[in-house]
Amino acid sequence: MATHGEITESLKAFADSFNKNERLKIMNKDWDRVVLIKANDIESQHTMTLKNGVVSLKEGAADNPDLTVISDSETLADIFYGDISPTEPYNNGTLKIMGTEDDIIRLDFISLMIWGE
Amino acid sequence: MKRVVSVSLGSSRRDHEVVVELLGERFEISRKGVDGDFNRALDLLKELDGNVDAIGLGGIDVYLYVKQKRYAVSDGLKLMDAVKKTPVVDGSGLKNTLEREVVRILARETDLLKKGTRVLMVSSVDRFGMAEALSEIGCDTVFGDLIFTAGIPYPISTVDELEDLANRLLPEIAKMPFHMIYPTGRKQETQDEEKVKKFAKYYYDADVVAGDFHLIRRFMPGGMDGRTVLTNTTTRDDIDFLKEKGVGVLVTTTPEYGGRSFGTNVMEAVLVAILGKPWDEITPGDYLDLLQKVDFRPRILNLT
Repeated sequence: MATHGEITESLKAFADSFNKNERLKIMNKDWDRVVLIKANDIESQHTMTLKNGVVSLKEGAADNPDLTVISDSETLADIFYGDISPTEPYNNGTLKIMGTEDDIIRLDFISLMIWGE
Repeated sequence: MKRVVSVSLGSSRRDHEVVVELLGERFEISRKGVDGDFNRALDLLKELDGNVDAIGLGGIDVYLYVKQKRYAVSDGLKLMDAVKKTPVVDGSGLKNTLEREVVRILARETDLLKKGTRVLMVSSVDRFGMAEALSEIGCDTVFGDLIFTAGIPYPISTVDELEDLANRLLPEIAKMPFHMIYPTGRKQETQDEEKVKKFAKYYYDADVVAGDFHLIRRFMPGGMDGRTVLTNTTTRDDIDFLKEKGVGVLVTTTPEYGGRSFGTNVMEAVLVAILGKPWDEITPGDYLDLLQKVDFRPRILNLT
């Protein structure tokens, strides 16, 4: 089990990597979205906002997120630190993402662009 | 007579059956679509296994080649693994050989492709050979994989960047459910109107639109104004669709049998049945020799 603080740090690492990646920023300039990240085994909610190709992060829930990402704390921290890809937990149901299929695919591509080899 | 059957995840409305003679041997070639029903495809493959001479898998890729690297699509492998006795192919081996050759033929013998021709490849990781060949002859090519697969409006403009992104993304993308990254079943008969509007500029900026027909079809805007489409699988209805959109020339990489060009998976299955060798022992040279013997030529159709 990861702590709320660890999830926060993993999300900061994700946001920093995104914001340092000029190619990713260009790719996602058109994609303004609010993403709620929620752990289902501890009290932990974060809101990640993508606007004009820049990611910002705050603790707590957003009112009307476009995407909601739910998993156990360990999986969330692993995914956002890039230790595991989201594909396998998504396929086996450990990771749930609610939103349109287009948005889910796009979020998956972004995480792979950040951490993929 | 040899029997070759293509099992496709695509629409059953595209089903077709012909008898052709190749190198003195008669072939019954048929295509059976399962309307996106994965389990029906598995059942059909098991039923055909051992009862036909070769099987093609359509509407899905099993292997994606990026230069020397090969990525296996999980859903495609599941289908392939259902067949134990009969040779089964997805067309990727032939695509890599035939489509390279088709680009060279078009550059050598027509004015459809030449240095500076603006080409949009709607997807290229499923036909890397074509992408490399277009680049070799100096076409100004946009590789639209991120645009049309992930909705990311980022045109890739070099083979090197395509290779970099493919190697970064494909190991994981290949594990995703196939329907999330490619139109299957009924989606093959409809257009994504929102994206048609959003991404029309990429079609209008090109002289030639190339790649997988279902992707081309799903996002093609009207007013194509005589542009050329270079693809493989088309039916009579597809040709009518392209005419309606204003396409001027259709080039298919596979030959026409009974009014339509079959997918590369079908043609590869036919070649495998002729060669009579295990698929993993067949080399690109075997395919090239055979393509010359049967005189496979791209079909060029003026639609105006």
